[in-house]
Amino acid sequence: MKKELFKIFGPLICAFLLLGIFLGLPLFNRGKISKEKMREISYSQSTNIFKGRYVKNQAFSGKYVPFFGSSELSRLDALHPSILAEKYHRNYQPFLLGNAGSQSLAHFYSMQPVNSALHGKKAVFIISPQWFVKDGTNAEAFSLYYSNLEGVNWILNSKDSRATRYAASRLLAMPTGSSDELMKMALKKKEKGKPLGKTLRWYLEYRRNALENEDHLFSMFKLNDRTQKVDRAMKKLPERYSVGKLDAVATKLGENATGNNPFDVSKKFWNKRLKGSYKELKGKQADYDYTQSPEFADFQLVLQQFKDNNMDVMFIIPPVNRKWMEYTGLSQKMLDRFDKKIIYQLHSQGFNNICDMTNVKEEPYFMQDTIHLGWRGWLAADTYISPFMASKFEAPHYKMNDMFYSKGWQNLSGSGIDDLK
Amino acid sequence: MINLQPYQNPTYFVLLAVALLPLAIGLLYGKRFKVYEMIVSFAFLLLTFGGVKLNEGLALLGYVIFETLLVCGYHAYRKKQNSGYVFVLAVVLAIAPLLIFKLTPFVTGKPSILGFLGISYLTFKVVGTVMETRDGMIKELKWYHVLHFLLFFPTISSGPIDRYRRFRKDYEKVPSREKYLELLGKGVWNIFLGFFYKFILAYAFGTLILPVVSKYALGHGGISWWLVAYMYVYAMDLFFDFAGYSLFAVGISYIMGVETPVNFNKPFISKNIKEFWNRWHMSLSFWFRDYIYMRFVFFIMKNKLMKNRVHIASVGYLLLFLIMGFWHGLTWYYIVYGLYHACAIILCDAWLRFKKKHKDKLPHNKFTECLAIFVTFNVVCFSFLIFSGFLDTLFFAK
Repeated sequence: MKKELFKIFGPLICAFLLLGIFLGLPLFNRGKISKEKMREISYSQSTNIFKGRYVKNQAFSGKYVPFFGSSELSRLDALHPSILAEKYHRNYQPFLLGNAGSQSLAHFYSMQPVNSALHGKKAVFIISPQWFVKDGTNAEAFSLYYSNLEGVNWILNSKDSRATRYAASRLLAMPTGSSDELMKMALKKKEKGKPLGKTLRWYLEYRRNALENEDHLFSMFKLNDRTQKVDRAMKKLPERYSVGKLDAVATKLGENATGNNPFDVSKKFWNKRLKGSYKELKGKQADYDYTQSPEFADFQLVLQQFKDNNMDVMFIIPPVNRKWMEYTGLSQKMLDRFDKKIIYQLHSQGFNNICDMTNVKEEPYFMQDTIHLGWRGWLAADTYISPFMASKFEAPHYKMNDMFYSKGWQNLSGSGIDDLK
Repeated sequence: MINLQPYQNPTYFVLLAVALLPLAIGLLYGKRFKVYEMIVSFAFLLLTFGGVKLNEGLALLGYVIFETLLVCGYHAYRKKQNSGYVFVLAVVLAIAPLLIFKLTPFVTGKPSILGFLGISYLTFKVVGTVMETRDGMIKELKWYHVLHFLLFFPTISSGPIDRYRRFRKDYEKVPSREKYLELLGKGVWNIFLGFFYKFILAYAFGTLILPVVSKYALGHGGISWWLVAYMYVYAMDLFFDFAGYSLFAVGISYIMGVETPVNFNKPFISKNIKEFWNRWHMSLSFWFRDYIYMRFVFFIMKNKLMKNRVHIASVGYLLLFLIMGFWHGLTWYYIVYGLYHACAIILCDAWLRFKKKHKDKLPHNKFTECLAIFVTFNVVCFSFLIFSGFLDTLFFAK
């Protein structure tokens, strides 16, 4: 009988043993990533990189600076911050983190595996007003940008605090956050401020090891190579940096790319996304509200992490395309209130590097489409980014306030915002 | 409370492995731990039908009580009398919950609360049992045996559809050690082949490729090469997903010492559509063959309603596949799918008769065999395209 049983289960046991060794031991290390590869990755906006550790860790240990954001980062025209930095051989190079749907909570967790590499670094964070909707981040979008590697690192390293409890409860509310039963158990403990216990800690450490091996093996799959596009775009820029000349280039590029629609939206975007449906959208955004959202508390988590990592960060708040705003009825008053609220959250805690563009006057070729910066908009942002990056790193002094996690703050609206000082 | 759908994720399989270990050891030593098995079954049913799915669990409970009473009642009646009307009434009553469940959305616009995962498969089991009782094939029938047969948890959600007598016979005898080792080996093999089918191949076809192909086909609109690609990708997804699931159900049954019938036997190497139905979703097509087609043919011949055997068979096929279409759901594409297969099999019969008559003139070699497989495969894939409902989205959806 033993022989027969071995025939049945032998291969199975061997397979499991091999898999255990394969994933559980720190066997895999891809070593140093080449300069060319890192350049490609920094432009790729790949979700696997976003969720991983290995690549980001190397990037942030060097000259790459994280640019946190969402869909606007993919608007790679010649004036894009990454391209300007590369063309003029600046002392930093943006590492693009995020794409459509990556919001505060995703960014908070994405920092967890690489907090030590981020320590004492500068960064740029682009805040989209469109994130701050009633239900906050969409569960599906979050799942695209979340990995258990982030979660495990966070669970193992975070200390009990209001922020920690809030972060745990948010992750538990997401379907991906509870995909692993034991991690769910650990998160529940974090939510209540209880210690993990030895067994759970041991399991999580094993899991981290396995996930890191996976990260080393698979995170560089399916990269979106955009370097040729970048090379072509760089050729359009003047050899020496000059705001005047760059503005002329931006205007020309904007002129060529728009013109088939009344909103100054790029032709490509118009044909693909608006042409068929724009008639139905008239006046449809009149009741949009970006002032009440759990996103404000999620954003507070990001700020807390910047503080814990002792990072000096510039925040950019892009505007909305004026003509489009008027057409869809999006309320300027509501946008102003959003702006006041988010700036209060930043200023009152000592985050003072803010590039607020919500009130830019009607400028042609500032926006590439309805809500995304383009040509002259990118250039305007660069006039903030480049001196900020060139300045000497000064250790920031932040004073965090846990009030920003409260429901009261999340839902503060109308005259409540007007009364803020 | 946690809720796990059958064969959903690694956790389910780990729990299964732990729970089945004592059973397997028992069977190796010639013992069937019936009480322990009952507890395990209950726990796994609770896992699937408890927690957030408790409403389904209650529906299931009500359903099995009703059906068990029905089967036992009919069996008690059948021992004394044998009226055709009572038999028809019993069948109608057996199908009634399924009918109510399927029709409610059309009447009220809301899904019925009577439903639960696997209701149609349980209905097949009940109707089969009623019919065999009518035939006098089932001599002994105990209420707890019926309950056990219906609630056998490895196959509860989507079959394979077992038969009462076969199941009882398997369960009453404990396999010899030699036989059980063979079952254990096959069981483990099936489960791992199932992993390959469902979590690798079906995932690749269904989750990675299908959405892309679908997007392009919809973007192009109308008939395009993308639509052709969609047809093949969908067919592969359908097969590997369902075959993978069936392998799990059969594999787990084997480990529990029950030889649940298999559902798939390399369907895509069929040389004609008739052979295909003997290889595809076999427990379902054999059920339809035995309990609908054969009974219909006997009924017609006994009552001399039609003379021509070919016509009887054709009408039988139409009936069989129409019912199968309706069973899948009340939409035009399921019904067309049924009609399509009925026509295909009627044509196939005609061709086989023609071939028999002209045996000496028609060539038969490796090439014609390959051609037959190719043609059958494409006819089948096209039927799955109809079945997928994609044409509905493509042509009729706004």
